[in-house]
Amino acid sequence: MLQCIFILSDSGEVMLEKQLIGHKVDRSICAWFWDQVISQGDSFKQQSVIASPTHYLFQIVREGITFLACTQLEMPPLMGIEFLCRVADVLSDYLEGLNEDVIKDNFVIVYELLDEMIDNGFPLTTEPNILREMIAPPNIVSKMLSVVTGNSSNVSDTLPGATASCVPWRTTDIKYANNEVYVDLVEEMDAIINRDGVLVKCEIYGEVQVNSHITGVPELTLSFANPSIMDDVRFHPCVRFRPWESHHILSFVPPDGLFKLMSYRVKKLKSTPIYVKPQITSDAGTCRINVMVGIRNDPGKMVDSITVQFQLPSCVLSADVTANHGTVTVFTNKMCNWSIDRIPKDRAPALSGTLMLETGLERLHVFPTFRVGFRIQGVALSGLQLDKLDLRVVPSRLYKGFRALTRSGLYEVRS
Amino acid sequence: MFTQFGATADTLSKASTLMFRFGTDAHLYDDPEDVNIAPLLDSKFDSEKCEALKRLLALIAQGFDVSNFFPQVVKNVASQSLEVKKLVYLYLLHYAEKRPNEALLSINSFQKDLGDTNPLVRAWALRTMAGIRLHVIAPLVLVAVGKCAKDTAVYVRKCAANALPKLHDLYLEENSSTIEEIVGTLLSDNSPGVVGAAAAAFTSVCPNNYSLIGRKYRRLCEILPDVEEWGQIVLIGILLRYAIARHGLVKESIMFSLHGRERSHSEKDDSDDDFAFKNDVSGTSGKYDSDLARTISRCYIEGPDEYLSRSSYANRISFEFNEAKFTSGRSNDEVKILLQGTSPLLWSNNSAVVVAAAGVHWIMAPREEVKRIVKPLLFLLRSSNTSKYVVLCNIQVFAKAMPSLFSPYFEDFFVVSSDSYQIKALKLEILCSIATDSSISSIFKEFQDYIRDPDRRFSADAVAAIGLCAKQIPNMASTCLERLLALAKQDLSTCDPGSTNGEAGILTQAIMSIKSIITQDPPTHEKVVIQLVRSLDSIKVPAARATIIWMIGEYRNLGEIIPRMLPIVLKYLAWSFTSEALETKLQILNTTVKVLSGAKGEEMQTFKKLGSYVIELAECDLNYDVRDRARFLKKLLPCSLDGGELELDTNCPPKKQDLPQVLAECMFQGQARQLSPESMDYRVYLPGSLSQIVLHAAPGYEPLPKPCSVLDHELDTNVIRGVDTLGEGADGTDSLSGSSYEESASDYSSERSMTVSSGDGGSDETSSTSEVDNTDPLIQLSDTGDANQNQNGAPQSASTDLEELMSKRSLETWLDAQPGLSILSTLEQSQLRKSSARISIRDISSRVKPKSYRLLDPANGNGLKVDYSFSPEISSISPLLVSVEVSFENCTDETISEVTLVDEESSKASDSSESSPSHKDVPTLVPMEEIALLEPGQTVKKIVHVCFHHHLLPLKLALHCNGKKLSVKLRPDIGYFVKPLPMDVETFTNKESRLPGMFEYTRSFTFIDHIGELNKETGDNALVKDNFLLVCESLALKMLSNANFSLVSVDMPISAKHDDVSGLCLRFSGEILSNAMPCLITITAEGKCSEPLNVLVKVNCEETVFGLNLLNRIVNFLS
Repeated sequence: MLQCIFILSDSGEVMLEKQLIGHKVDRSICAWFWDQVISQGDSFKQQSVIASPTHYLFQIVREGITFLACTQLEMPPLMGIEFLCRVADVLSDYLEGLNEDVIKDNFVIVYELLDEMIDNGFPLTTEPNILREMIAPPNIVSKMLSVVTGNSSNVSDTLPGATASCVPWRTTDIKYANNEVYVDLVEEMDAIINRDGVLVKCEIYGEVQVNSHITGVPELTLSFANPSIMDDVRFHPCVRFRPWESHHILSFVPPDGLFKLMSYRVKKLKSTPIYVKPQITSDAGTCRINVMVGIRNDPGKMVDSITVQFQLPSCVLSADVTANHGTVTVFTNKMCNWSIDRIPKDRAPALSGTLMLETGLERLHVFPTFRVGFRIQGVALSGLQLDKLDLRVVPSRLYKGFRALTRSGLYEVRS
Repeated sequence: MFTQFGATADTLSKASTLMFRFGTDAHLYDDPEDVNIAPLLDSKFDSEKCEALKRLLALIAQGFDVSNFFPQVVKNVASQSLEVKKLVYLYLLHYAEKRPNEALLSINSFQKDLGDTNPLVRAWALRTMAGIRLHVIAPLVLVAVGKCAKDTAVYVRKCAANALPKLHDLYLEENSSTIEEIVGTLLSDNSPGVVGAAAAAFTSVCPNNYSLIGRKYRRLCEILPDVEEWGQIVLIGILLRYAIARHGLVKESIMFSLHGRERSHSEKDDSDDDFAFKNDVSGTSGKYDSDLARTISRCYIEGPDEYLSRSSYANRISFEFNEAKFTSGRSNDEVKILLQGTSPLLWSNNSAVVVAAAGVHWIMAPREEVKRIVKPLLFLLRSSNTSKYVVLCNIQVFAKAMPSLFSPYFEDFFVVSSDSYQIKALKLEILCSIATDSSISSIFKEFQDYIRDPDRRFSADAVAAIGLCAKQIPNMASTCLERLLALAKQDLSTCDPGSTNGEAGILTQAIMSIKSIITQDPPTHEKVVIQLVRSLDSIKVPAARATIIWMIGEYRNLGEIIPRMLPIVLKYLAWSFTSEALETKLQILNTTVKVLSGAKGEEMQTFKKLGSYVIELAECDLNYDVRDRARFLKKLLPCSLDGGELELDTNCPPKKQDLPQVLAECMFQGQARQLSPESMDYRVYLPGSLSQIVLHAAPGYEPLPKPCSVLDHELDTNVIRGVDTLGEGADGTDSLSGSSYEESASDYSSERSMTVSSGDGGSDETSSTSEVDNTDPLIQLSDTGDANQNQNGAPQSASTDLEELMSKRSLETWLDAQPGLSILSTLEQSQLRKSSARISIRDISSRVKPKSYRLLDPANGNGLKVDYSFSPEISSISPLLVSVEVSFENCTDETISEVTLVDEESSKASDSSESSPSHKDVPTLVPMEEIALLEPGQTVKKIVHVCFHHHLLPLKLALHCNGKKLSVKLRPDIGYFVKPLPMDVETFTNKESRLPGMFEYTRSFTFIDHIGELNKETGDNALVKDNFLLVCESLALKMLSNANFSLVSVDMPISAKHDDVSGLCLRFSGEILSNAMPCLITITAEGKCSEPLNVLVKVNCEETVFGLNLLNRIVNFLS
């Protein structure tokens, strides 16, 4: 079980400590932790499980804020990590983003939330819906009220009804004048193109996001036209397993508002919508770089927000890079960012430049990996299609909306 | 002027930040101490209290110690505002352990809150009360948890489940059975949410009490998908352990295939799917993985201790499982239902749940079904980024043991640039172990890409991985070798010595990989060795050079060309010796000697010269390692360095028996041994555990239980087991708290001893031996023995030596003892069913004799004997005081003068100003008037008045006599902290109904006093008094002579059986001296007149701590 949770700012300051069990964990563990971060750099921040001299630490980093949990006993490490993720999710939802200031400004709410979310080191209430009813999120009205009257409580004095219901993710009495439900397919394309320009791996990671505003306790069913293309799936707890096992139908009572209904993966795709062709030649201490970008398979919709990012090798002394379209920026950490946005009709965007290598170095032996970003609205590149969305108990009027979006995920071109 | 501008700018920036931060608690965090907090806490406005508490919280958040505000904060616990309450609770939980005494002040408020109609208030009160972890209030918390476990609100029940581990932490030994009982109740709760929390409590309270799971197993499996995610994680683990302890491992599972590999070969004909599986594994790695998986399954079951004690591999046969420890996954329903229940969880959104479910399938599922865990695990790598590393660690073990599972999905392990180094390294390792003939070419291409990765450490790993792959898949060896050589050559051109560590690492790794490929099959790679030797001059990295030099020594006799090259190479090495790095020098020495020891003919002289030259150089080296090595070699090979008989020696070593010679031969002539697979040495932990990630057994790590360690009948008789452990605890620790269970324990033993005697002729020894076979530590001879004693009618509690009972230890046990909950309910039911008549016993008061205690023994007090007894009279000075009748007796022949009794505290206070006699809570003695003279044999009785303030610790008094001071201890009796409150039955029931719930405490025990009375009566007088009356009288007398109550009524049962007293009910009432709160006692008896009675005592009192203590006292003196 977890013994203590610390929240650290991006400069290593301990902003909050919440002791969970009688056995207190001293803050000095944070000092140790930060020393390690300083001495080992970013790679230490990416370790999710750390064995310190006195405790086992779980850490996650969100927007510069480090959440640290300590334990001394055997426990499923993923439980600690997932819980921290949940805390981070809930906090950023409450505070509309995460940074040092909002956490400090709302430390009372953070304490109250933590106290409600975990009891004796074991998660208690982590359902955002219930939490919202127990502890009111700070909003402009409550802020005003507290300024004017100097008194406003954000602690609810009744127990949310959902704690007792069998659908704890949904509050019981919701009323809407207009009943609406929106289903979004948000897909991310992962691809690896190797040195020879061969597409090694291409797959889609997708999420079905639902935004529901429906009166009462609705029963929704969602079916796909081609569910067989999905390779792996993961569901929100509201999805019933039996209908999926038997008919590949999603049957669920949705939480109120926006949520991730399921995530899926479609593997072994054959092509990508755009191509990125890097060419790097080096000789006698200088290096020529050329990158071509263009549409390979027109997906039928506009491809926009195209970016190409790469890290120049550390042996490069200086870089002179220009493009015939879009803007190129080279940051001080030798990260190079080329934002193209849309591909113009008349010419193929190209980036070219020369890199000066360290003295004594003839040729480049370390090659950058190009990370490609793009966005296509209105298309789910996996080809997944929604069949229909039904509501069991139909309220007077239900507005249904569908949308699709594909963007690049881990899209890498090696050179 | 400028300062003004500065000021404006300052205020402007302040204003702008205010705009964003207004209405938040920002100012409280920034300057928590800019106002005086203390007065705010005492404010009568909730908002001001809130602000003060928030400031304190901010200070806690920033790591300051603000425990000095504790008393003021605790006062606010009674606040009606929920926000204040919550903030106070947050503060309390942080500091309660530091300030236990002040924390006690909050208890009454918690008690009140526990009876609140708002479930949220009840839940918070319970959470905080359990969370402040004070040993003193543990009994109260236990009662509260028991009540809340039956609460109507799910949330409260959940909090009750969460409170159990907190209690368990405090208690450890006593009462653990009650806690476990509550765990059991909560595990069978209707709401899945509660079951999840109860599962968590189970793992921390009683992880091995499988009897609790036994009956609920099926239901728990079915409810599993509905339990909330955190509960699922824990519950899966419990169910898995139970299934293994109960049914053993599954015959079709991977775990078995590895233990019983030989057996499965012999069973070829009937297990076709075994074959399908074997073919699936694609020959190459089949044997390897089964060896490894055997290690793995053994690791799962072996604890760290066993692992350490099992020193070598030689005795691994001893760890074979016999066939009986396995069950069939196809026919065993309980295993099937577990797999069915966990398989949908593989789709869970919580990665911890997925990994836990995968662990169950990995261990329990039939081999052909294990593959269903693959996709969900792989999907985790993409869908939850933060858990990636942990998931990969688990996959790594699976993939090593059963590469066929993951080999089709090798693409999922391709490295992307955003991966951290740890993840990249893990992926590489997994790729190596799952590579097959069909996938190796793609994987190999990937590896080549990785070599160009900017992270040079990773590139070096990739090079090493190429070597590993080539080793595993011999077809690839030549391709890999080519590529590695090219790489080495290319690196030579780019890499200056010491320019970048990374490049050097890659080159070294490349040479090492080449070496490892060559060792597989040296003859075919002769040319490679030559090529490397040729490039020796251009390779500057010491580690790489050392490896190549090692190869020269190792393959000196390989093929045709190498032996001919040797003189030149050795000359080159000798020439460069002085400029080499340490490791290279050592390697040159070794190689020279190796070559020398195997040399023949005309080259001999050259080598000898070179050898002695190199050794001479080495002897003068700066580094002592090199010098040591040189001297060692010189001693070892004296002959070969200066003599010429070497040839003779090598040809016939046995003749000469020259020890150094033989030794040298073994060392330098022997072929390189095949290294045993390194994986066999490493330790594997359960999938999903923390230990598996940190690769050592974390504290609290438990391996799987021994297969089939729990047997059928143990589960069926789980009630008995529970009672048994109880009996043991009670016997061992104290005579008071256990008494309530003696009845049930003796029931059990009588039942058991009967079966035993009918079965094998009666002695306890036989029964014990039959039990030992079951290897269950809980049922043992000692238990039966104890229980029998109890049944024989001599419970320890019969020795009611009050001096002893009033000791400090017994005080603690009072506080710790807890009412038996289960027995209560049955008693109550039976009580309701029976009709009764009401009688009153008028003459009883005349027979009441208060018990007298010894204050001072004549032996210690120079012949002065002082006794005291609590007097039922109400003190004449103040109603708050307890009057104690003290009798002074002079046992000597001389007179004793100036006898007086004073407070030790106050007498001390007179000479030291430190202690404060005015302190309110300290028990005090009203000074008594001095006895001027005590004649020999004279007895003087005095009434002293003591104000105990409800303290139960002995009061230290000073007895002055003859000018001397003797310190004595007056032990308070809670039974006299009350005064009789006469009332009629109606008022009694009326008042009782107003003190329900938290204000009601019950305990049951066995009453045996009346038996003696009965026997006496029958012996003395044939004219029998009514047995009922006798029982009543003995109960009432006992009660009244030990506590200052008034008897309200006696209810007699009217029943057909003349000696059945069930339903007998006595009521007493009293009033607490200090606060005049009524205190009601009801005693109900059950059983037969002539036998020990099962008696239930119920106390209704508003003052909780007092009530519980009183109850314990009553049970103590009655039983």
